[in-house]
Amino acid sequence: MLDFHIERAKVLPKSNLWSFLEGLKKISPLIAPVKRGNKTVFSEVNDISDITINYTRTILPPKKFLVPYRRVRFTYSTDDLSFSSNFKARDQIIFGIHSCDLHGISILDSVYLKENPDPRYLEVRKKTVLIGISCMPDDYCFCLSTGTAFPDGANWDLFLTDIGADYFVSIGSPKGDELIIELKELFRDIEREDLELYKRSTRKKKEAFKNKKLPDLERISQLIELEYESPVWDEEAKRCLSCGTCTNVCPTCFCYTSIDVPDFEGKTVKRVEFTTSCQYPYYSLVAGGHYFKPTRTARFRHRYYHKFVGYPYQIEKLGCVGCGRCSAECPAKISMVETLIRLRGTDEKEPGKAAEQTSAGRSL
Amino acid sequence: MKKSLEKLLNKPLPVDPFKPQRAVITDIEELAPDHKKFTFSFLDEGVAKSWDYIPGQFVMLTVPKAGEIPISICSSPTRKGFFELTVRKVGRKTKVLHQLKPGDVVAVRGPYGNGFPVGIMENHNVLIIAGGLGMAPLRSLVWYILDRRNRFKEIYLLYGTRSYEFVLYKEELRRLKEREDIKCLFCLDRVETPEDREWADIEGLLTELIPQVKLEPSETYVAVCGPPVAYKFIGKELLKNGYPESQIFVSLERKMECGIGKCGHCQIGYKFACVDGPIFPLWDTKNLPEML
Repeated sequence: MLDFHIERAKVLPKSNLWSFLEGLKKISPLIAPVKRGNKTVFSEVNDISDITINYTRTILPPKKFLVPYRRVRFTYSTDDLSFSSNFKARDQIIFGIHSCDLHGISILDSVYLKENPDPRYLEVRKKTVLIGISCMPDDYCFCLSTGTAFPDGANWDLFLTDIGADYFVSIGSPKGDELIIELKELFRDIEREDLELYKRSTRKKKEAFKNKKLPDLERISQLIELEYESPVWDEEAKRCLSCGTCTNVCPTCFCYTSIDVPDFEGKTVKRVEFTTSCQYPYYSLVAGGHYFKPTRTARFRHRYYHKFVGYPYQIEKLGCVGCGRCSAECPAKISMVETLIRLRGTDEKEPGKAAEQTSAGRSL
Repeated sequence: MKKSLEKLLNKPLPVDPFKPQRAVITDIEELAPDHKKFTFSFLDEGVAKSWDYIPGQFVMLTVPKAGEIPISICSSPTRKGFFELTVRKVGRKTKVLHQLKPGDVVAVRGPYGNGFPVGIMENHNVLIIAGGLGMAPLRSLVWYILDRRNRFKEIYLLYGTRSYEFVLYKEELRRLKEREDIKCLFCLDRVETPEDREWADIEGLLTELIPQVKLEPSETYVAVCGPPVAYKFIGKELLKNGYPESQIFVSLERKMECGIGKCGHCQIGYKFACVDGPIFPLWDTKNLPEML
């Protein structure tokens, strides 16, 4: 029988959360945040009691389940140069993604699918269900500035907002709707007061940013272009170790290097792609020994330039979602927020401006 | 909770743009020390027939066991059934390529990049400036224009390289010089041997040839390709002689892994050399830091 409902959202009582997760795991392999030491990582779960609901940020963003950090693109034989691949996407559900990471995935969607679409990414993406969950910021978060504090405008399937005793479940796609229908006995309909609580939770998250240092991203593209020769780049880059941690933990970084690895007999060759970093010197090295980004300052600045000037040109969105990973994980304690504030200079900051989320999600 | 990107996911799976086509080396010509011109034909007849490109575009060439390299096409799309690449032995992968023999099979994908704006160059003068190996992509443009000569006005070719020994396409350029419908001016860094003297119009740099060009700058499109250091000087000299910066096109080189805007290595400012370039108007130097 056709099962159909027209609710725009549902309510999941918190007491049903574990049954919900158990239900998800029965449908597809389930990926969720789990504790690793005193940090959290996204990992496939066998036992749902391993899942941690309240976390601030994972070490790596969930992109590793969409674009593995090391992947074999093709295998070819050196006899006849026939290229083949045994790649096969599997169904998967990623649960517990914060709003910033959902926006990060949407940015990757644009990068991989807008022009010259990558069939492999599309296949993975079609088979992946994204379930988001609301969160509260810590000192590294600045998603309110980047316009990614809430999941509006991103690509996802379900989003759970904590409204006290329940989760307010927004439905973002037919795939998300199907999950609700499949597990419908766990949900109840929304009522007037649920909506009120939902609106209050939005206010609560905004208020949590009140005493935090936020960068003013108004016309950030132009700022970075005009301040291209600023001494701030040199000063900040002096502390940089060129270790590439910032780009490796970034939810929107996509640069990779590709190498051909022959086997011992030289009969078959694997074309391996692996994540690289614009912070490594070899990133811009061409045959003949010329480095197009020879200095640490040039590479350090390139990351900011690409995030705030490059992405807006390439995909019409900022390339930063304010997750705070690059600042939190940097061994030299370089903070993106601090650099942006220094670059703008304190005197021209308009009070109150920074803490406003624009509807477009970006301000140039 | 409206989602603006839904449509990106509601597409059928596209053809894999990373999968190359097999091509056989039909001819290899040694042009100069460490410089070889390779001629290829696609093994698949359908691909060989439909494959088309624009002068200034490049291909990603798989050198078996070594890897993929971006190489500019040096033949003209007006000549069908084959294509040519001129490669200098300069790194690990090109070294392996130089060991290949006619009959060996490679894999190719492309063409990629924007190419020279040949459409808007029509009904204008064209000034072509090549330095060193920069002659390779411009050879494609030269033959494209000469094969459709009536669509273009005056044509100049300026070509400079180290010495006669390093001149590429020697016989071909010698015959070009005898033609009436293209004016060729050649310079060499050093004129020492009798061959150097016979070849060179002047001893010196390309910038010294530019004032000798008798063209109305506003009616002229300029195409430049050369070593990275040369662009600044050539650009300055062209502007000094009155060529508009929006009509000067330079072909740039960067590191590339994919050719289709996915690997990130070739970024010049906010643009990708592979999809937004490799041909850029000189005007872009204002927008793109570190372009030249």
